[in-house]
Amino acid sequence: MDFDFSPIIENWRYLLGGLGVTLALSAVTVLASLLLGTGIGIARVFGPAWLRLPLILYIDSMRAVPVLVVLVWTFFAVPILLSGLSLPPFWAAVVALTVHIAAYVAEIVRAGIESIRPGQVRAGLALGMSRAEVVRKIILPQAVVRMLPAFGSIVSITIKDTAIATVIAVPEYMKRSETLAGQSYHPIEVFTFAMIVYFLILFPVTRLIDVAYRRVAHLGRS
Amino acid sequence: MTALATDPRRPGIARPAVLVYRDVRKLYGAFVALNGVSMAVHKGEVVCLIGPSGSGKSTLLRCTNALETINGGEILFDGAALPADETAARHVRRRMGMVFQNFELFPHKTALENVAIGPLTVLRARPADAAAKAQALLDKVGLASKAASYPANLSGGQQQRVAIARALAMEPEVMLFDEPTSALDPETIGEVLSVMKILAEEGMTMVVVTHEMTFARRVADWVVVFEEGAIIEQGPPEQIFEAPRVERTRSFLSHLGWAG
Amino acid sequence: MTYDWSVIWQYRAAFADGTAMTFLLAVLTMAIAVPGGIVLALLRLSRSSAIAGASTALVEFFRNLPLILLVYWAFYVMPMVIEIELSPFATGLTALALNVTAYNSETFRAGINSIRRGQTEAALALGMSRAQAMRVVVFPQAWRRVLPVLASTWVSLFKDTSLVSVIAVGELAHVAMEIRSQTFRVLEVLTAMGALYWLLGYPQAKLADWIHRKFGVTE
Repeated sequence: MDFDFSPIIENWRYLLGGLGVTLALSAVTVLASLLLGTGIGIARVFGPAWLRLPLILYIDSMRAVPVLVVLVWTFFAVPILLSGLSLPPFWAAVVALTVHIAAYVAEIVRAGIESIRPGQVRAGLALGMSRAEVVRKIILPQAVVRMLPAFGSIVSITIKDTAIATVIAVPEYMKRSETLAGQSYHPIEVFTFAMIVYFLILFPVTRLIDVAYRRVAHLGRS
Repeated sequence: MTALATDPRRPGIARPAVLVYRDVRKLYGAFVALNGVSMAVHKGEVVCLIGPSGSGKSTLLRCTNALETINGGEILFDGAALPADETAARHVRRRMGMVFQNFELFPHKTALENVAIGPLTVLRARPADAAAKAQALLDKVGLASKAASYPANLSGGQQQRVAIARALAMEPEVMLFDEPTSALDPETIGEVLSVMKILAEEGMTMVVVTHEMTFARRVADWVVVFEEGAIIEQGPPEQIFEAPRVERTRSFLSHLGWAG
Repeated sequence: MTYDWSVIWQYRAAFADGTAMTFLLAVLTMAIAVPGGIVLALLRLSRSSAIAGASTALVEFFRNLPLILLVYWAFYVMPMVIEIELSPFATGLTALALNVTAYNSETFRAGINSIRRGQTEAALALGMSRAQAMRVVVFPQAWRRVLPVLASTWVSLFKDTSLVSVIAVGELAHVAMEIRSQTFRVLEVLTAMGALYWLLGYPQAKLADWIHRKFGVTE
């Protein structure tokens, strides 16, 4: 069993480009899903009943349907619905991943807000604050701190889910590894290297979030 | 200072020493929990360990049944040093009973099952025998009617009495009590102390870490005063409580509001 | 643009087969990953720091990889390492099992650790061995904390089975993609696939919620 890592070394620029796409896709998705998910989460908790029900349906649906299905449907089926208007693979992936992950973010936001004891709200109201001020100044700041570890895991999940975008031919790292593996006839070396690359990205991310959370955790305890 | 087995004032002096502690040291990292503790417990004696929180009393108890390992000195049980090996330590633990401050009853088992679990699991007793013995012990601690109750439905005092029965089910040679009443409401402390008094009168060898000074004064045969990991004074209860020889003993007792 | 929804009915047997395969994969994976997770959790809690460190490293490795990569890697590496030609099904199952075992070990480890140390001490004080203390005192209490998390892991696993479609295992996603390429009815087939996963997954997610409510620990 001899291993030949030369295809990886020779094509390092190709792979590095793939890594760039992975990181770009992850960053855009994390940002978009944090924004969208937070909005949905807050609407889910504080919004009117007619808005809450469809939001609950959306959130639960994303828990039921695999990412792969959402990706494939967004890329292949949506253009047919919109009579030929198609998104390039990268942006289709952004849309699909954001829609899927925002649901998880919304649940994290809901759980974070609901974890703040009612006594905190009562204390704020007793001081003469309006409900809106109580939400802004007392609930959300504490809730945000409590949500941080879960948001950290969202980053980790997003990076892992970008690898699924390979099935709609987004040229991210997984796809490029696949292509290289096929062309070089050295799939073991290429995929083993890919595992190391992903591990080296994901492991520090989760550790960093842990460390950052420990620094600020006391701000969320009441 | 180191009044071991030779103090003539001890009533139990004629009887064999069940537990002997020689210069016992225990460290938690840099913190010295026990700093050269030497004392003895004779058969049938009730020895009470008193002193401020963090002075090492509970630590000594937990080292006695090898829940913690000591860093220096030795502890002799029935003449033999406590084994370092976990399997051998298990056999030693069977011969000692321990009652915890937080009762530590097993919440998923009834009172009867809690008392029977030692004989069943460790001594491989027959279920019928273990159950009969458990029922008798519950009766002894005054809880025969609560045999089928789960700990969550028992008061603190009742739980602690079940815990005492559970320890007794193993027929131990010595009973170790780690602040048995510290977590109890005042109303229920009495029922637990009554059971302990009965055990003492029946001749059980007992080592009790406690803040209940009245109990120590009335029931103890020997009192050991701890401070900062060391023994500052030990003697019969009359001496410790009425005529302490060490100033720090006196100030500790007065801080507790002990009027003598 | 005309839609032909009848293709779904036409291929209903294939869809049924795919669904059955999805369930089979998920069930078999859990059957391996629950005992595997317990074993790995106990190894991580071992008093030997070498064993604890090695098993923790293993768990961290599998938790920090995309599952789809693990599927591909297993497909290419396993025939070399084991020197038997494994079917795509077995390969996919292996990748899923490795992934879920790692997550389960974390679940069981947290569950075991959530039981107060005093409970183990009380058991040891009676003369029980550590193994007996685990069996009689810790595990019976820990499973209540573990069950809700296992329910969530199941829901995720059910969705993750779709990833083994890339190595041509005949579960639901793969079947749907095959039908799509045969019939060219892209929207209809893909929508059917989505709807089927939704119909299967939604009740399971709700069941997991119920388990969380029933067994959840109130602090």
